Amino acid sequence: MLARKHFDIQAGNYDEAGKAASEIKRTLKLEHCSKELIKRVSVASYEAEINIVIHSVGGFADCTIDDHAVYLQFVDHGPGIADIALAMTEGYSTASDESRLNGFGAGMGLSNIQKSADEMTLISDVNGTILKLKFHREGDDSHDSE
Amino acid sequence: MIKLESIVEKYQCRIYTTSIYDPMKEIRFGFCADLMSDALMIMNTVKETGILEDTLLITGLATNQSIRTAEMLDVEVVLLVRGKVPAPQVVTLAEESGIILIGTNLTMFQTSGLLYQEGVRGIPGHAST
Repeated sequence: MLARKHFDIQAGNYDEAGKAASEIKRTLKLEHCSKELIKRVSVASYEAEINIVIHSVGGFADCTIDDHAVYLQFVDHGPGIADIALAMTEGYSTASDESRLNGFGAGMGLSNIQKSADEMTLISDVNGTILKLKFHREGDDSHDSE
Repeated sequence: MIKLESIVEKYQCRIYTTSIYDPMKEIRFGFCADLMSDALMIMNTVKETGILEDTLLITGLATNQSIRTAEMLDVEVVLLVRGKVPAPQVVTLAEESGIILIGTNLTMFQTSGLLYQEGVRGIPGHAST
């Protein structure tokens, strides 16, 4: 393992939203991941973090990097996604007016995360949601971002 | 292509991040959105390197999220339209993130039309000619 990071994410705190994604991006740069990989991970991280800020009572993110892949795990403590298939549908959103005033709530977040990641697992019930993402490092030019 | 100093001069822009302002920064592409979800979704489809670095994010959203979105996408300049004024914390975040933040009183439509006349184009892959 090359690096492991943990970030707490507060519900409803739009001023801090994106801080974890920013730190994850910085970590990937330090690990000399390629620009292409960094962008995919950054966008997915930001969307996932925003989802926790908008929709949950709070949670956390874990980022692990090894020679083969970048692993992200976003966990929140509820209230869960009632219908995952519906939530994955582009344009469907339960976001509040406040989140729309902050530029989010278009119903594209999960879809964008899925397109960015190489592997995605989403588990949810009323106690919370776990989103696991894997990004392969094959072909990752380790000097690209230097 | 247009240099940032030309945009600032012609559209009477205020420069909020004076410490990192780069007048010679070249802008080749533009993308307009008030919804950062759209910016993240559509700009993430650009696979060629070096495109988003030269893209101007034109928005009326003067919050931290415009800066964070630019940061995640490797966009280096954000232009606030419609006279929107960012809070000091937004300017601080932009400076910390290395994002140049400027603002104009022009509308999004006026800004885009004028930039198009200067040769700035939409990002590749979205019917941009």
